[in-house]
Amino acid sequence: MNPLQLEYKALTRRHFFGQGALGLGSAALSSLLAGKTTASSPAGSLGMLGAPHFAPKAKRAIYLFMAGAPSQLDLFDHKPKTQAYFDQDLPESVRMGQRLTTMTSGQKRFPIATSKFHFQNFGQSGATVSELLPYTARMVDDLAIVKTVHTEAINHDPAITYICTGNQLPGRASLGSWLSYGLGSLNEDLPTFVVMTPTWSGRKGAQALYNRLWGSGFLPSKHSGISLRSSGDPVLYLTNPPGIDASQRRRMLDTLGRLNQRTLDRFGDPDTQTRIDQYEMAFRMQSSVPELTEIQSESKSTLSLYGPDVEKPGTFAHSCLLARRMLERNVRFVQLFHRGWDQHGNIANELPGQCRDIDQPSWALVQDLKARGMLDDTLVVWGGEFGRTVYCQGKLTRDNYGRDHHPRCFTVWMAGGGIKPGVVYGETDDFSYNIVRDPVHIHDMNATILKCLGIDHRRMSFKFRGLDMRLTGVEDHHPVSGILA
Amino acid sequence: MVLCSGNPAEEAGILDFASDIRPILSDKCFACHGPDSNKRKAGLRLDDRSAVFSHQSDGKPLINPEKPSSSSLLDRVLSKDPDLQMPPPEANKELSAAETQKLITWIRQGASWGEHWAFEPISKTNPPSDPSFSEVTAPIDAFIRSRLSKEGLSPSQRATSDVLIRRLALDLTGLPPDRAEVEAFRSNPSAENYERFVDKYLESQRYGEHMARYWLDAARYGDTHGLHLDNYREMWPYRDWVVRAFNENKPFDEFIVEQLAGDLLPDPTQDQLVATGFNRCHVTTGEGGSIKEEVYVRNVIDRVVTTGTVFMGLTFECTRCHDHKFDPLTMTDFYSMFAFFNNLDGPAMDGNRKDHAPVIKVPSDEENNILRNLSSQITRLESRLKGDWNEIDRAQKAWEEELERQSLATANGKAPLSMSNWHHIGPFNDAERYLRKNRQHGPEGKPVDLAAELKTTNGEIRKWKERADYQDGKIHNDLPGETVANFLYRTIESPRSMALNVSLGSGDGLKVFLNGKEIHNNVTIREVDADQEQVTLELVKGTNEILVKILNFGGKSGFYFKSDSEVLLLPKPIYATLFKADGSSEEKDVSSLRDYYRNQISDNDELRRTIGELKQRREEHAELDRRIPTTMVWRERKEPREAFILNRGEYDQKGETVSAATPGILPQFPADYPRNRLGLAQWLTSSDHPLTARVTVNRFWQQIFGLGLVKTAEDFGSQGTPPTHPELLDWLSYRFIQEGWNVKRLMKKMVMSATYQQTAKVTETLLEIDPANRLLARGVRLRLDAETLRDQALMLGGLLNGKIGGPGVKPPQPDGLWFAVGFSGSDTVRFKADQGSSKVHRRTLYTFLKRTSPPPQMSTFDAPPRESCTVRRERTNTPMQALLLMNDPQYVEAAKGLAILCFKESSGEPRDVAKLMLERCTGREAGDKEVEELVAIFESEASHYRDHPKNADALVGIGESRPLSEPISSDALAAWIVVANMVLNLDEVIMKN
Repeated sequence: MNPLQLEYKALTRRHFFGQGALGLGSAALSSLLAGKTTASSPAGSLGMLGAPHFAPKAKRAIYLFMAGAPSQLDLFDHKPKTQAYFDQDLPESVRMGQRLTTMTSGQKRFPIATSKFHFQNFGQSGATVSELLPYTARMVDDLAIVKTVHTEAINHDPAITYICTGNQLPGRASLGSWLSYGLGSLNEDLPTFVVMTPTWSGRKGAQALYNRLWGSGFLPSKHSGISLRSSGDPVLYLTNPPGIDASQRRRMLDTLGRLNQRTLDRFGDPDTQTRIDQYEMAFRMQSSVPELTEIQSESKSTLSLYGPDVEKPGTFAHSCLLARRMLERNVRFVQLFHRGWDQHGNIANELPGQCRDIDQPSWALVQDLKARGMLDDTLVVWGGEFGRTVYCQGKLTRDNYGRDHHPRCFTVWMAGGGIKPGVVYGETDDFSYNIVRDPVHIHDMNATILKCLGIDHRRMSFKFRGLDMRLTGVEDHHPVSGILA
Repeated sequence: MVLCSGNPAEEAGILDFASDIRPILSDKCFACHGPDSNKRKAGLRLDDRSAVFSHQSDGKPLINPEKPSSSSLLDRVLSKDPDLQMPPPEANKELSAAETQKLITWIRQGASWGEHWAFEPISKTNPPSDPSFSEVTAPIDAFIRSRLSKEGLSPSQRATSDVLIRRLALDLTGLPPDRAEVEAFRSNPSAENYERFVDKYLESQRYGEHMARYWLDAARYGDTHGLHLDNYREMWPYRDWVVRAFNENKPFDEFIVEQLAGDLLPDPTQDQLVATGFNRCHVTTGEGGSIKEEVYVRNVIDRVVTTGTVFMGLTFECTRCHDHKFDPLTMTDFYSMFAFFNNLDGPAMDGNRKDHAPVIKVPSDEENNILRNLSSQITRLESRLKGDWNEIDRAQKAWEEELERQSLATANGKAPLSMSNWHHIGPFNDAERYLRKNRQHGPEGKPVDLAAELKTTNGEIRKWKERADYQDGKIHNDLPGETVANFLYRTIESPRSMALNVSLGSGDGLKVFLNGKEIHNNVTIREVDADQEQVTLELVKGTNEILVKILNFGGKSGFYFKSDSEVLLLPKPIYATLFKADGSSEEKDVSSLRDYYRNQISDNDELRRTIGELKQRREEHAELDRRIPTTMVWRERKEPREAFILNRGEYDQKGETVSAATPGILPQFPADYPRNRLGLAQWLTSSDHPLTARVTVNRFWQQIFGLGLVKTAEDFGSQGTPPTHPELLDWLSYRFIQEGWNVKRLMKKMVMSATYQQTAKVTETLLEIDPANRLLARGVRLRLDAETLRDQALMLGGLLNGKIGGPGVKPPQPDGLWFAVGFSGSDTVRFKADQGSSKVHRRTLYTFLKRTSPPPQMSTFDAPPRESCTVRRERTNTPMQALLLMNDPQYVEAAKGLAILCFKESSGEPRDVAKLMLERCTGREAGDKEVEELVAIFESEASHYRDHPKNADALVGIGESRPLSEPISSDALAAWIVVANMVLNLDEVIMKN
């Protein structure tokens, strides 16, 4: 029997053997918002794995995704030797004929653009961080900074689809939907996987996002990420229509439940029981979600931690605080997609603003989780879809330059549950062009994330079109032991 | 659990290799001991009979039916030694105890072997006959009953007439029956009357719309490109073709041939060309920086994979990088299929255009008539213009003489000048995806060489083109590209140095260079118009070069140019004819001189009227032609591209050359078939193809019965689930082919069966034995699909607009969904809802589908985003669905419509309104208890609204406004809307029962 049939059986059993009453929870636990992990809850509340493969270090996770590809050369991967090569062509011995995007493949020259930003070593780990990320710099000893993440995709759409779903082509399941599928939910009032798309301060002509990045692909659609929106209904169709209030909705649902019970008696279909419960869950969400977004209840000191933008809905700071509130309420996985990192030109003017958007809030999130004792079992990931080239795209001056896409190395940091703090992992060459030591493929990185959450990436699969589909593909990949606690 | 395996005989006795053993070997062993020779371990393959029975290992035969205990296979699977155990522990493919037992039993029973069922020819089976079910008339029922009786189960009763007619209408038209139909069937639920309804629904135009949407999932149809900018794509004529094809009951083999190869048919019709859009529906990109060859290969791969899934149920995708691990398909097979789809005559990148070439225009009959009419008027006017006008010819002569006089007197400054036509080159972009206003582009900063080829930043080649149609004094608003620069160039010959005043216009910015020097610069943002700038050209004696740069920062782009001077600027040939030809000019020149005079100079009233009318007709023609929709089609390249095996599936890792061929495991490709898509389509639809008919019939079965006979409709290979009723599948497939691939007939066979007509009531035992209803001992009960739910609500609310076809429509959706993900430069970044019932109340099939952000009314109910081929939808049951059905303004609007209708069509007494509402929505008679429930909630809500009149007004005001003529108070109507909203959320209404 495949897992879906097992689930179905569990459902029918629960209905017919004792738990089919109209109460809250019960059968509906197996669905979208499913699952308490208390010992008394039925088996269906867990994900399809039943139990994690290993004891999970992290119960939940948050992924701060920097869409557009931040420049590792201007933020983390300090390359002082490039000073000597300023405006000289990238040596062919470094480039080795590797492919370029057609945005720069026609350039006559590939002049080295040394980062104009000041770098310094920080913390016990001595990690280098540029002046653009002063807050991140303060917490390097909480982080594992991986400088050698790499991918094969060289353009945004395929690359971001690849890192988020394990394949460059549309149609696969996203990381969060895998977690929902595999692990189930930790709460019964909120979605399992929530996505936010905060505003950004760079050029408005930013790369697109796609619903597929948090979609469920071949997995049942209930595992898709739910967008938490900053304007309108925070969750789609959460609010009652104009002129219908909560007490009316309650009365309507009471009658609806009784009428549906008659249908259940008539056809005996367990789906009817599930529907009854899902309507109750929807009703609970109508109060739990607004409560979630009311940040006025946060203390002044907490608010100030996240910086001046925290009270502006839709900002990265506001989203980070909401994310913490969700994690606190045991939402399994939160993913923020911050756009505007595609600096083909004008790094000098655009990158600082992008960094200001995210620097303090990312730091605040980690501190806030730590202060609440949640960092131990919450995994935090920060990174984009690929890196940027050491050579300049467009006009090069000491003060300004642009960088093209570079899939061969980029920097990602992780922190929290399962991660060894204060580590700088991997090394790139003097041009941040090739990896010299400890490459980490994006599949390895996703395997690492799964590992922290108690999942063996090789053993979480879903049969689709005759294949055991995995987030990490068919090739051999491994969690990065060097950054695991 | 027994039942799920697909074989009832497991415990009873003899195991069936196809359904019991092969799936185990495939799932647990083939990855290392299967068709893929590169990954094969220990030289052992378990997918091939001769290999299995000749293999020796550990000093004994692998399988020894004579002496089962001395089969090395059993030693290995029973071993606990991690070094010997199979499958090895690290493979994560552990055999269950039941599976191990099956292998043992199978060998004991003689280790029977068979090839994979799906590759065997379709057999001509007969329905089982059994005296115990003599009342069975439909062959389908005989197959189903035979299996049921083996399991000791019996079929269920026929469903009640109300349930049945609703089920039938929903399954064949995607809409519930109307009340008259329900009553007509209730009063005569006989088999004959049922059949009349079946025929009626099959003939309904709604049938084609309903059938089309399943096919559009498979064809991955969408209204945007799906990648990167995800811009609008004009493709709906293909969607409408699919609807028509089903309504006309186009034989399914023709349906396939036209979609795969309509363009290769002799004298293809417009419809046959539209059909080839099937192979253009895949997602495409226009992302800057993309490597064209990589994109090109991806597009072809999508076509191959989709062809495999839709027509053959084969998972071709696996063979892109290596030989298939489970099925006898090789990489060579994959790239040989690739070769069929390798010759599209169009660019790989979509250019973010709605009409990504090749496209055709798809005028309606009416539009064709108007166009023809205009064309003949234009021809008539043109010949009139060229005809005899003696008076004008005399005037021309005088004009020529006057010009000659002026040209001799060069000093007076009125001598005409000779100028070239405009030449155009562009567009030129910047790498950053926006345009730098001070950067040099294209021909800027160097001498103009009209023969030169210039490169854009992304490596595309641009060449100069002469544009005789860019006439002076007219606005030309058609320069190509967005956020780009375009250039125009012409020369003016001047007999002396002089100042020439000219007027220019530009959208957006403008730079003018005279003889290589910048003389004017106004980088602004505006729409082009006449006379926006005045510039003086200081001409030198001899040839003067004018280069105009037009910068476009977004939107349309164009230019305008006119001489303000009294000096006449004459086109070069005219000038030559006038001044250099001294009477000996050839006929052609005389005629062009006459054309020039008549068009540009003469002020004869009648001539001007004729010219005006011609211009008018031409504009009408152009305007209509512009509005005619296009649709993306297939056109074959003249020179076929070479196809290669691509190592590891990488576009730049070309291996050996391959030619178009079909997989070796399948029937041979007949020598007299053309080796192209047409031959491929003929091969697929030939009667001895084992897969096409089976896969097709199975999908239609799945549509009606919820699950296919082969549950994995997308995979008929080793890893798919074997059919529950293999003989039935073959019987249906065989007949389908014999009866000319007649889809309506197949649909009728299924819905006429007693199996289909059973009640869906499920008993505890049945639920325990067969929870997924694979054996069909009961009727099918399923949640309605996204489209059907919305269409039903609109219909019950009296809102549904029945218009068939046309461009996608945009009913309201929550603000900001597109904006939250969209690329800022995309033409679908901002959603603007349509207005008016003719747009917002159409069937959901016509809702505009943006693939990177599909309408929530679709995605919330498991409709796929159409980014890739999908032949099977999930059916989930989530709180997000509850929120949508309760709160989506369109569903609330439907509730309002329903409330008004029920009030209007009944006495208005609460009991009558409630009863009508229930009956209208469930299609059955309402019980007293239910009516009481509705009346009770109506009364509580009406009283609530009497206390909160503003809330009542707010609720009543929702949706497209309609004047309310009924004598109903706002609080009563509001209360009925709440009740209607609840009724539309009843499980019974959301489900097909």
